[in-house]
Amino acid sequence: MSLGRPRSWGPWIRRCVQIACLALFILLFVNTRFREHVEPDASSHIFFHLDPLILAGTFLASYAVPVAALLALVTLAATLLFGRIFCGWICPLGTINHFVGWLRNRVRGIPDAPARWSPWQRTKYYLLIVLLVMAAFGINWIGVFDPIALLYRSMTTAVWPALQYAVEDGSTYVYQADPHIGPVHATRVTEPVYRFFRDHIFLAPRQAFLGGGLILALFAGIVLLNLVQPRFWCRYLCPAGALLGLFARRPLLLRLARRDEDCNQCGRCTIGCQGLAAPGHGNPWMAAECFACWNCVSTCNFQALRFTIEPPFRKRPVAGLDLGRRATLGAAVGGLAGLFAFRLSPQAQARAYHPGLIRPPGAREEHEFLQRCIHCGLCMKVCPTNGLQPTTFEAGLEGVWTPRLVPKIGYCQYECNLCGLTCPTEAIQPLPIEEKKRVRIGLATIDTTRCIPYAYERNCIVCEEHCPAPGKAIYAVDTEITTRDGRKIIVKQPHVDPNKCIGCGICETKCPFADRAAIRVTSANETRHPGNQPILVGIGDLEGTAQQGYGGAAAEQTGVSPYVNPYGQQ
Amino acid sequence: MSHHSRRDFLTHSARIGGALALAQMGGLAPFAAETPPAMAIAKWAGDPIADADSTALASMAVKLTEQALEAVGGMGRFVKKGDVVWIKPNMAWDRPPELAGNTNPDVVATLVKLCLNAGAKTVKVGDNPCVAAQKAYATSGIEAAAKNAGAEIIYLDENRFRKMALNGEYLSEWEVYPEIVETDLVINCPIAKHHGITQATLCMKNYMGVVGGRRNAWHQALPACLTDITRFMKPQLCVLDAVRILTGNGPQSSQLEDVARKDTVAVSADILALESFGVELLGDRPEARDIVAKAAAAGLGNPDYKALNPRELAVT
Repeated sequence: MSLGRPRSWGPWIRRCVQIACLALFILLFVNTRFREHVEPDASSHIFFHLDPLILAGTFLASYAVPVAALLALVTLAATLLFGRIFCGWICPLGTINHFVGWLRNRVRGIPDAPARWSPWQRTKYYLLIVLLVMAAFGINWIGVFDPIALLYRSMTTAVWPALQYAVEDGSTYVYQADPHIGPVHATRVTEPVYRFFRDHIFLAPRQAFLGGGLILALFAGIVLLNLVQPRFWCRYLCPAGALLGLFARRPLLLRLARRDEDCNQCGRCTIGCQGLAAPGHGNPWMAAECFACWNCVSTCNFQALRFTIEPPFRKRPVAGLDLGRRATLGAAVGGLAGLFAFRLSPQAQARAYHPGLIRPPGAREEHEFLQRCIHCGLCMKVCPTNGLQPTTFEAGLEGVWTPRLVPKIGYCQYECNLCGLTCPTEAIQPLPIEEKKRVRIGLATIDTTRCIPYAYERNCIVCEEHCPAPGKAIYAVDTEITTRDGRKIIVKQPHVDPNKCIGCGICETKCPFADRAAIRVTSANETRHPGNQPILVGIGDLEGTAQQGYGGAAAEQTGVSPYVNPYGQQ
Repeated sequence: MSHHSRRDFLTHSARIGGALALAQMGGLAPFAAETPPAMAIAKWAGDPIADADSTALASMAVKLTEQALEAVGGMGRFVKKGDVVWIKPNMAWDRPPELAGNTNPDVVATLVKLCLNAGAKTVKVGDNPCVAAQKAYATSGIEAAAKNAGAEIIYLDENRFRKMALNGEYLSEWEVYPEIVETDLVINCPIAKHHGITQATLCMKNYMGVVGGRRNAWHQALPACLTDITRFMKPQLCVLDAVRILTGNGPQSSQLEDVARKDTVAVSADILALESFGVELLGDRPEARDIVAKAAAAGLGNPDYKALNPRELAVT
């Protein structure tokens, strides 16, 4: 069954806007990468800042948002006036869902029976309530479900690396095997293709992320749900859509004008409806569910439906949004339950510190960090070494998919502060580079049972070579050891100076042990947590302690303050 | 900034070519004496230049490089018309020129120009750095300087290393970057630096930037591994940048007190001659000698650089 020729240009204009917004999203995504001499600009944040759910969640959780995030008020205002045009026209995840749903209908055929509004569409409002209640008590789990954060995280950690992996490893396989017939090599074709992608599409070395498979699976699940019903995510689950729905119950200017006398109740408008907003005969229009996609208007054979702009005092029948007092209360209680579940762990109560939870430099104290972090993965995208990885459970369920440095994969580049500069909510503070260099994010420890000059009778010192700290935090001591055959030889054994070590992790990355490094960085001594500082740094020679007091001359010398975070935060 | 003009180059090439041709005809000993030396050391002898005077430092680096090259017979002795040349500086660290972690960008840019003037078709500049390449390339100043001089900047692609037979005593094969070995000439152009193990990192260690794989493991047997890669690379021309040198906390420091000025550029066709000159410059430590000795035992050159009668230039 075909819906016939369109009766309105509305859908075509909407499609153009959708494609443009998705293209812009992808363009900004590709451009948000490490580029020397190019400071990241605010453009990479546009979609985040347009998203009122991110504004609401971050504000409720932390009472602090960047000024630019107030851009979301524009979205809210537009929603008040015209309904959920953000969902129907702007949201890139909405566009992907829309496209896949359209594809489904192309392949499977458009259903004959119109899909009815379902009470399950309220699910998204309850989810919103759960999230907002949690946020009000300081747990910002908004980003786990927010469509922009979710899409960005999935693109960064899964979709893009998978694409790059396919192109790069596929052509690399051909390159290494070099199949040819006489002088005709297969690489004559594959190499130009590979170079085109490398130089014009990917533009940065391939990244790989721990747990990226799970994120990919969840994202694929959301996309595949469109096969069950078009825009499944948007109709039933999206909490940002729910928030906009609350503001779109009775748009001040937009009206769906229905001329019942022209309607033959064919139901085509309802079949094409993206939001299950009951545009057709018999039920009042559910403005809170409507994406203003214009499909209903364009499919009506009798022009019985029109979107009109009318002054606020001209009322037309609109269905109310009845969430039910009991269910609403239940959702709020659910949010509280989630709150307690998250806060039950010893780590969430700052009684223990996860050694592997090395936060990027400038990351705030853990609670405050989690109140702001929206799990979007921007910091991981721009990290030039791929060292910033999504957590799974290192930060508890509360902090799932937040950034941590995994030094065996990549280190914190000494002269780089990009993660802080690109964080859309300043969960990672945008520290000036000189300040950033003084922040300790962890401490290196030498495993003498593996370290080559300790355990295997030969020199190595790769860690010392790479240490970027002024005067080097890793130093080698010529030490006499007895070999297996009884000879005395001198080897250079590395040691770590806690006064100088900032925990950047390049030692661990570069250690010749590729499985488990013989020098490893843990979160110990991180500047942001006085409770996690076993070593009194900055006191230099212990004998001088009495005269100097903590953090005396030696601290000035290293520029590292023993207790206090240089930005006033604990 | 003085340029090595095409005319200079042509005269030189003609002279050298003629001299070589005559010498080969035999029995013309007086002409053979005109064969340029295998090595030259250009030292600044003009007015002292302050560390802060970057313009004067740059023009000094250009002069030192040009005159050192000219003293060994000009770039035309090494570059043929239409050649593809790879200049391999030390461009491994995220350090600006003042901190002497990477080769002086003006030295590299001058080499690029000399190669192009000598008729090179393409001059490529690239390294396999120890930190993110974009950082090292940019911060070192080499990317901008070399590009400006007409070079093609190559970011090594980690997917395009290929295992090659080194046939060394110790390393039978290793991942090498094919694009480098496929060029007609590789100019090895390191900066003289202190190093934690070897006490000196110079030309031989600079070759660690043409290989990939788990190259860090080489540190357990540097003399053997560096000898093997040097043999494989068949060095023809090495240029040692000692305008600034790193005297401590090498191979990269973030403190200016580890940097010293030597205002010197040395050039040699014999890698070991240059290597031992550099070892001396950095305090002549036995660990550094071990590497040179090992390579000399393998017949890769003559470490007694004074025996080569290097031409010492006082540049003003």
